Amino acid sequence: MSEKRKQVSRRQFLNYTLTGVGGFMGAAMLAPMVRFAIDPALQTSAQGDFKAVAQVDEITTEPQRIDWTIDQVDAWYESEVTKSAWVYKTEDGDILALSPVCKHLGCVVTWQGSEEYQDQFFCPCHDGRYYKDGVNVPNTPPAAALDVFQHKVEDGTLYLGKAVPREEL
Amino acid sequence: MQWNKDDIKQYIEVTEYVDTLLIPLMPFTMNMDKQVEKIVVQGELIKIFSSELERRFKGRIFLTPSFTYLSESDKGNGVEQLNKWVEEAMDNPFKHVFFLTFDAQWKKFESKMNGNLLWFPSVQSGDLNSEATKSMIKDQISQVMELIRSYW
Repeated sequence: MSEKRKQVSRRQFLNYTLTGVGGFMGAAMLAPMVRFAIDPALQTSAQGDFKAVAQVDEITTEPQRIDWTIDQVDAWYESEVTKSAWVYKTEDGDILALSPVCKHLGCVVTWQGSEEYQDQFFCPCHDGRYYKDGVNVPNTPPAAALDVFQHKVEDGTLYLGKAVPREEL
Repeated sequence: MQWNKDDIKQYIEVTEYVDTLLIPLMPFTMNMDKQVEKIVVQGELIKIFSSELERRFKGRIFLTPSFTYLSESDKGNGVEQLNKWVEEAMDNPFKHVFFLTFDAQWKKFESKMNGNLLWFPSVQSGDLNSEATKSMIKDQISQVMELIRSYW
Protein backbone atom coordinates (compact mmCIF):
# COMPACT_ATOMS: atom_id res chain seq x y z
CA MET A 1 0.00 0.00 0.00
CA SER A 2 3.02 2.26 -0.28
CA GLU A 3 2.32 3.71 -3.61
CA LYS A 4 -0.96 5.33 -2.74
CA ARG A 5 -1.69 7.08 -5.91
CA LYS A 6 -4.54 9.46 -6.17
CA GLN A 7 -6.85 6.66 -6.89
CA VAL A 8 -10.60 6.80 -7.00
CA SER A 9 -11.95 4.40 -4.47
CA ARG A 10 -14.74 2.06 -5.33
CA ARG A 11 -17.07 4.00 -3.03
CA GLN A 12 -16.22 7.30 -4.67
CA PHE A 13 -16.55 5.87 -8.14
CA LEU A 14 -20.02 4.55 -7.38
CA ASN A 15 -20.94 7.85 -5.79
CA TYR A 16 -19.93 9.81 -8.83
CA THR A 17 -21.56 7.57 -11.37
CA LEU A 18 -24.79 7.19 -9.43
CA THR A 19 -25.06 10.93 -8.83
CA GLY A 20 -24.36 11.51 -12.49
CA VAL A 21 -26.85 9.00 -13.80
CA GLY A 22 -29.42 9.90 -11.17
CA GLY A 23 -29.00 13.54 -12.01
CA PHE A 24 -29.70 12.89 -15.64
CA MET A 25 -32.75 10.87 -14.84
CA GLY A 26 -34.03 13.52 -12.49
CA ALA A 27 -33.46 16.21 -15.08
CA ALA A 28 -35.22 14.18 -17.71
CA MET A 29 -38.25 13.95 -15.46
CA LEU A 30 -38.19 17.52 -14.24
CA ALA A 31 -37.57 19.32 -17.50
CA PRO A 32 -40.98 18.63 -19.03
CA MET A 33 -42.66 19.41 -15.71
CA VAL A 34 -40.98 22.79 -15.56
CA ARG A 35 -41.90 23.34 -19.19
CA PHE A 36 -45.54 22.63 -18.43
CA ALA A 37 -45.50 24.81 -15.33
CA ILE A 38 -44.24 27.88 -17.16
CA ASP A 39 -45.99 27.11 -20.42
CA PRO A 40 -48.57 29.91 -20.25
CA ALA A 41 -45.73 32.38 -19.94
CA LEU A 42 -44.10 31.05 -23.10
CA GLN A 43 -47.22 31.21 -25.22
CA THR A 44 -47.11 33.87 -27.89
CA SER A 45 -49.49 36.50 -26.67
CA ALA A 46 -52.86 37.00 -28.31
CA GLN A 47 -51.40 40.20 -29.73
CA GLY A 48 -49.84 38.13 -32.48
CA ASP A 49 -53.24 37.14 -33.77
CA PHE A 50 -54.27 40.68 -34.52
CA LYS A 51 -54.27 41.72 -38.16
CA ALA A 52 -54.26 45.22 -39.56
CA VAL A 53 -57.43 45.47 -41.62
CA ALA A 54 -58.29 49.13 -42.20
CA GLN A 55 -57.59 52.76 -41.46
CA VAL A 56 -59.73 54.14 -38.67
CA ASP A 57 -60.66 57.29 -40.60
CA GLU A 58 -62.24 55.16 -43.33
CA ILE A 59 -64.72 53.79 -40.84
CA THR A 60 -68.07 55.49 -40.72
CA THR A 61 -71.22 55.03 -38.70
CA GLU A 62 -72.54 52.86 -41.52
CA PRO A 63 -71.47 49.20 -41.31
CA GLN A 64 -68.95 48.34 -44.02
CA ARG A 65 -67.74 44.96 -45.00
CA ILE A 66 -64.02 44.50 -44.50
CA ASP A 67 -62.22 41.43 -45.80
CA TRP A 68 -58.77 40.24 -44.87
CA THR A 69 -56.85 37.00 -45.04
CA ILE A 70 -55.15 34.95 -42.38
CA ASP A 71 -53.00 31.85 -42.60
CA GLN A 72 -54.89 29.03 -41.07
CA VAL A 73 -53.08 25.86 -40.15
CA ASP A 74 -55.35 22.85 -39.94
CA ALA A 75 -54.13 19.47 -38.92
CA TRP A 76 -53.18 18.46 -42.44
CA TYR A 77 -52.65 21.54 -44.45
CA GLU A 78 -52.07 25.22 -44.28
CA SER A 79 -54.38 27.50 -46.13
CA GLU A 80 -55.16 31.12 -46.63
CA VAL A 81 -58.57 31.91 -45.28
CA THR A 82 -60.57 35.02 -46.01
CA LYS A 83 -62.21 36.57 -42.99
CA SER A 84 -64.85 39.25 -43.07
CA ALA A 85 -66.32 41.65 -40.58
CA TRP A 86 -68.97 44.33 -40.56
CA VAL A 87 -67.29 47.35 -39.04
CA TYR A 88 -68.71 50.70 -37.98
CA LYS A 89 -68.43 53.44 -35.38
CA THR A 90 -71.06 53.42 -32.68
CA GLU A 91 -72.66 56.61 -31.42
CA ASP A 92 -70.13 57.02 -28.63
CA GLY A 93 -67.29 56.79 -31.13
CA ASP A 94 -66.27 53.22 -30.35
CA ILE A 95 -65.55 50.79 -33.14
CA LEU A 96 -67.68 47.70 -33.36
CA ALA A 97 -66.58 44.82 -35.60
CA LEU A 98 -69.25 42.16 -36.00
CA SER A 99 -68.69 38.68 -37.33
CA PRO A 100 -70.83 38.02 -40.40
CA VAL A 101 -71.48 34.41 -39.44
CA CYS A 102 -75.13 33.82 -38.61
CA LYS A 103 -75.66 32.29 -35.18
CA HIS A 104 -78.39 30.06 -36.52
CA LEU A 105 -76.62 27.73 -38.93
CA GLY A 106 -73.55 29.63 -40.04
CA CYS A 107 -74.50 31.41 -43.26
CA VAL A 108 -73.06 34.83 -44.00
CA VAL A 109 -75.22 37.81 -43.09
CA THR A 110 -75.27 41.15 -44.92
CA TRP A 111 -76.07 44.64 -43.75
CA GLN A 112 -79.25 45.82 -45.47
CA GLY A 113 -79.46 42.38 -47.05
CA SER A 114 -83.22 42.64 -47.16
CA GLU A 115 -85.18 45.38 -48.87
CA GLU A 116 -87.72 45.50 -46.09
CA TYR A 117 -85.31 45.89 -43.20
CA GLN A 118 -82.82 48.56 -44.21
CA ASP A 119 -81.34 49.06 -40.75
CA GLN A 120 -80.69 45.43 -39.95
CA PHE A 121 -78.35 42.58 -40.77
CA PHE A 122 -80.05 39.89 -42.80
CA CYS A 123 -79.29 36.21 -43.28
CA PRO A 124 -80.32 34.98 -46.73
CA CYS A 125 -80.70 31.35 -45.68
CA HIS A 126 -83.59 31.41 -43.25
CA ASP A 127 -84.40 35.12 -42.98
CA GLY A 128 -82.63 35.58 -39.67
CA ARG A 129 -82.23 39.23 -38.70
CA TYR A 130 -80.05 41.25 -36.34
CA TYR A 131 -80.25 44.85 -35.21
CA LYS A 132 -77.40 47.19 -36.04
CA ASP A 133 -75.68 46.40 -32.73
CA GLY A 134 -75.65 42.72 -33.71
CA VAL A 135 -78.40 41.60 -31.33
CA ASN A 136 -80.73 39.06 -32.89
CA VAL A 137 -84.25 40.18 -33.70
CA PRO A 138 -86.70 38.12 -31.62
CA ASN A 139 -88.87 35.63 -33.50
CA THR A 140 -86.31 35.14 -36.25
CA PRO A 141 -84.28 31.88 -36.34
CA PRO A 142 -81.03 33.02 -34.64
CA ALA A 143 -80.94 32.52 -30.87
CA ALA A 144 -77.91 34.68 -30.10
CA ALA A 145 -76.28 37.94 -31.07
CA LEU A 146 -73.54 38.07 -33.69
CA ASP A 147 -70.02 37.45 -32.43
CA VAL A 148 -67.79 40.47 -31.94
CA PHE A 149 -64.19 40.69 -33.12
CA GLN A 150 -61.61 41.78 -30.57
CA HIS A 151 -60.14 45.00 -31.85
CA LYS A 152 -57.48 47.55 -31.10
CA VAL A 153 -56.36 50.77 -32.70
CA GLU A 154 -52.73 51.72 -33.16
CA ASP A 155 -51.56 54.81 -35.06
CA GLY A 156 -54.87 55.19 -36.81
CA THR A 157 -54.93 51.57 -38.00
CA LEU A 158 -57.59 49.14 -36.96
CA TYR A 159 -56.45 45.67 -35.92
CA LEU A 160 -58.88 42.79 -35.54
CA GLY A 161 -58.34 39.63 -33.56
CA LYS A 162 -60.61 36.72 -32.84
CA ALA A 163 -64.39 36.73 -32.95
CA VAL A 164 -65.86 36.04 -29.53
CA PRO A 165 -69.45 35.33 -28.53
CA ARG A 166 -71.25 38.14 -26.73
CA GLU A 167 -71.50 36.45 -23.33
CA GLU A 168 -67.73 36.22 -23.10
CA LEU A 169 -67.16 39.94 -23.55
CA MET B 1 -72.76 21.91 -45.02
CA GLN B 2 -69.69 20.13 -46.25
CA TRP B 3 -68.93 16.48 -46.44
CA ASN B 4 -66.95 16.30 -43.22
CA LYS B 5 -67.56 14.94 -39.75
CA ASP B 6 -68.36 18.17 -37.94
CA ASP B 7 -70.76 19.42 -40.56
CA ILE B 8 -72.53 16.11 -40.91
CA LYS B 9 -73.03 15.94 -37.15
CA GLN B 10 -74.67 19.33 -37.31
CA TYR B 11 -76.61 18.43 -40.43
CA ILE B 12 -78.20 15.41 -38.78
CA GLU B 13 -79.67 17.70 -36.16
CA VAL B 14 -80.96 20.35 -38.52
CA THR B 15 -81.88 18.44 -41.69
CA GLU B 16 -85.13 20.32 -42.16
CA TYR B 17 -83.29 23.63 -42.56
CA VAL B 18 -80.94 22.38 -45.26
CA ASP B 19 -83.14 22.04 -48.30
CA THR B 20 -80.70 22.62 -51.15
CA LEU B 21 -78.32 20.08 -52.62
CA LEU B 22 -75.31 21.32 -54.55
CA ILE B 23 -73.38 18.83 -56.69
CA PRO B 24 -70.22 20.15 -58.37
CA LEU B 25 -69.31 18.41 -61.63
CA MET B 26 -65.56 17.95 -61.85
CA PRO B 27 -64.00 17.10 -65.22
CA PHE B 28 -60.87 14.97 -65.31
CA THR B 29 -58.49 13.81 -68.00
CA MET B 30 -55.01 12.37 -68.27
CA ASN B 31 -54.75 13.28 -71.91
CA MET B 32 -52.09 15.97 -71.84
CA ASP B 33 -53.00 17.80 -75.01
CA LYS B 34 -53.82 21.44 -75.40
CA GLN B 35 -57.26 20.96 -73.87
CA VAL B 36 -55.91 19.83 -70.55
CA GLU B 37 -55.17 23.26 -69.18
CA LYS B 38 -58.71 24.39 -69.82
CA ILE B 39 -60.09 21.34 -68.06
CA VAL B 40 -57.84 21.88 -65.06
CA VAL B 41 -58.93 25.52 -64.79
CA GLN B 42 -62.55 24.45 -64.95
CA GLY B 43 -61.91 22.08 -62.07
CA GLU B 44 -60.22 24.73 -59.98
CA LEU B 45 -63.06 27.13 -60.60
CA ILE B 46 -65.58 24.49 -59.59
CA LYS B 47 -63.77 24.11 -56.29
CA ILE B 48 -63.65 27.85 -55.67
CA PHE B 49 -67.29 28.38 -56.61
CA SER B 50 -68.70 25.49 -54.68
CA SER B 51 -66.76 26.13 -51.50
CA GLU B 52 -67.58 29.82 -51.56
CA LEU B 53 -71.28 29.14 -52.13
CA GLU B 54 -71.20 26.65 -49.29
CA ARG B 55 -69.50 29.18 -47.02
CA ARG B 56 -72.04 31.89 -47.71
CA PHE B 57 -75.07 29.57 -47.51
CA LYS B 58 -73.75 27.04 -45.02
CA GLY B 59 -77.01 26.67 -43.18
CA ARG B 60 -79.08 25.88 -46.22
CA ILE B 61 -76.83 24.26 -48.82
CA PHE B 62 -75.51 20.74 -48.63
CA LEU B 63 -72.37 20.46 -50.74
CA THR B 64 -71.71 16.91 -51.90
CA PRO B 65 -68.27 15.60 -52.86
CA SER B 66 -67.58 16.52 -56.49
CA PHE B 67 -69.00 14.24 -59.15
CA THR B 68 -65.86 13.44 -61.09
CA TYR B 69 -66.07 12.32 -64.72
CA LEU B 70 -63.72 11.78 -67.61
CA SER B 71 -64.05 14.88 -69.71
CA GLU B 72 -64.37 12.81 -72.91
CA SER B 73 -66.91 10.43 -71.51
CA ASP B 74 -70.49 9.99 -72.59
CA LYS B 75 -72.57 12.45 -70.61
CA GLY B 76 -75.64 10.26 -70.90
CA ASN B 77 -74.04 7.78 -68.50
CA GLY B 78 -73.09 10.60 -66.20
CA VAL B 79 -76.65 11.85 -66.11
CA GLU B 80 -77.87 8.41 -65.13
CA GLN B 81 -75.44 8.25 -62.23
CA LEU B 82 -76.18 11.78 -61.15
CA ASN B 83 -79.87 11.06 -61.07
CA LYS B 84 -79.09 8.12 -58.77
CA TRP B 85 -77.29 10.53 -56.43
CA VAL B 86 -80.30 12.77 -56.42
CA GLU B 87 -82.69 9.89 -55.88
CA GLU B 88 -80.70 8.80 -52.87
CA ALA B 89 -80.49 12.32 -51.50
CA MET B 90 -84.25 12.75 -51.78
CA ASP B 91 -84.70 10.46 -48.77
CA ASN B 92 -83.78 13.63 -46.93
CA PRO B 93 -86.05 16.58 -47.35
CA PHE B 94 -84.25 18.40 -50.17
CA LYS B 95 -86.38 20.80 -52.16
CA HIS B 96 -83.79 22.08 -54.62
CA VAL B 97 -81.01 20.34 -56.49
CA PHE B 98 -78.27 22.21 -58.35
CA PHE B 99 -75.50 20.87 -60.52
CA LEU B 100 -72.62 23.27 -60.94
CA THR B 101 -70.44 23.06 -64.04
CA PHE B 102 -68.32 25.01 -66.50
CA ASP B 103 -68.49 22.27 -69.08
CA ALA B 104 -70.94 23.10 -71.87
CA GLN B 105 -71.35 19.45 -72.84
CA TRP B 106 -73.77 18.96 -69.94
CA LYS B 107 -76.05 21.60 -71.34
CA LYS B 108 -77.42 19.20 -73.97
CA PHE B 109 -78.55 16.79 -71.28
CA GLU B 110 -80.10 19.37 -69.05
CA SER B 111 -83.67 18.22 -69.66
CA LYS B 112 -82.83 14.69 -68.51
CA MET B 113 -81.23 15.83 -65.28
CA ASN B 114 -83.16 15.67 -62.06
CA GLY B 115 -82.28 19.14 -60.94
CA ASN B 116 -81.20 22.55 -62.11
CA LEU B 117 -78.03 22.71 -64.15
CA LEU B 118 -76.03 25.84 -63.42
CA TRP B 119 -73.66 26.19 -66.33
CA PHE B 120 -71.37 29.17 -66.64
CA PRO B 121 -68.77 30.04 -69.23
CA SER B 122 -65.41 30.06 -67.50
CA VAL B 123 -62.27 32.09 -67.86
CA GLN B 124 -60.27 30.00 -70.28
CA SER B 125 -56.82 31.16 -69.44
CA GLY B 126 -54.97 33.61 -67.32
CA ASP B 127 -53.94 33.56 -63.71
CA LEU B 128 -56.64 32.59 -61.26
CA ASN B 129 -54.78 34.46 -58.55
CA SER B 130 -54.57 37.79 -60.30
CA GLU B 131 -56.62 40.58 -58.75
CA ALA B 132 -58.64 41.13 -61.91
CA THR B 133 -59.68 37.49 -62.20
CA LYS B 134 -60.39 37.30 -58.48
CA SER B 135 -62.75 40.22 -58.53
CA MET B 136 -64.44 38.84 -61.63
CA ILE B 137 -64.95 35.50 -59.91
CA LYS B 138 -66.28 37.21 -56.80
CA ASP B 139 -68.73 39.10 -58.91
CA GLN B 140 -69.83 35.95 -60.69
CA ILE B 141 -70.30 34.16 -57.39
CA SER B 142 -72.54 36.86 -56.03
CA GLN B 143 -74.65 36.58 -59.17
CA VAL B 144 -74.91 32.82 -58.69
CA MET B 145 -75.98 33.49 -55.11
CA GLU B 146 -78.74 35.74 -56.35
CA LEU B 147 -79.80 33.04 -58.78
CA ILE B 148 -79.96 30.38 -56.08
CA ARG B 149 -81.86 32.70 -53.78
CA SER B 150 -84.44 33.26 -56.47
CA TYR B 151 -85.31 29.57 -56.26
CA TRP B 152 -85.82 29.71 -52.46
